[in-house]
Amino acid sequence: MAKSLGIFVTSPQNMRHIMGITRAAKAKGSKVKVFFTWYGVHLTKCANFQTLCELADDVSICVDSYKKCGYDPADIPKGLEAKDMATQGQHGAIIEDYDCYLTL
Amino acid sequence: MKLLNVYRSEPNDDTKKLAEIVSEGRDAESFDLNVESPDYDTLVDKVFAADQTICWW
Amino acid sequence: MSKKVGFLLANKEYTLDGTRSALGLAVENMYAYAYVLNNELTDVSDYHKENIEWIRDMEGEVYTTVDANVENLGMPKITIEEIGKQLRDLDYIIPYGIMRSDKS
Repeated sequence: MAKSLGIFVTSPQNMRHIMGITRAAKAKGSKVKVFFTWYGVHLTKCANFQTLCELADDVSICVDSYKKCGYDPADIPKGLEAKDMATQGQHGAIIEDYDCYLTL
Repeated sequence: MKLLNVYRSEPNDDTKKLAEIVSEGRDAESFDLNVESPDYDTLVDKVFAADQTICWW
Repeated sequence: MSKKVGFLLANKEYTLDGTRSALGLAVENMYAYAYVLNNELTDVSDYHKENIEWIRDMEGEVYTTVDANVENLGMPKITIEEIGKQLRDLDYIIPYGIMRSDKS
């Protein structure tokens, strides 16, 4: 069975890598969780963000960062639900529960 | 310990120094994401095979 | 056993949020360390100063390579070589955000 993979996103520059790595990991049968924080939350406005949400097993963002970056927390990005507007605890969950870890 | 150093951009002197110290005496390899078309399939295989992956800036 | 995590903060635009993220893991019972590289922190709010204090209270630390941060914020001074040695003992190493654009 493939290892699980958690991706911690802190940069607004790496959407193509997040998509590419998630696709490759899913093709190998991996469980993938992605958590976006700080300027990484700008990537929720990318055209393929919703596709990422469909592809990965779990996607969430830091709602505090989203607010600090000028977005309205009530404006939930397409692909996410209210429960996915989360805290840094999601980063902790990646470290505790996933076999492999990447920062992008 | 199997270590994978992933570079998201061209490493500067500090990054090179840190990666060198962390990798010393370990089974370390690197992967460059800062290319036109990274081979994500190969990268994921390397991540799964490593004990620790560091994605440098 | 509690995981040991190190945040590498090399860009002023990301540093204070990186300390918030480090605190987020400290409260998840991890040992959280942050390293402020080559960026002098100015206009640090009481909120962020408290975050740094909380990391220390939870047996973590926020180190810096910059003398001004030592003087103004009481961060212990550290060299790049010393950081590298500390990183060898950590379970997760997180180069946070993006590297600043000028050469450091």
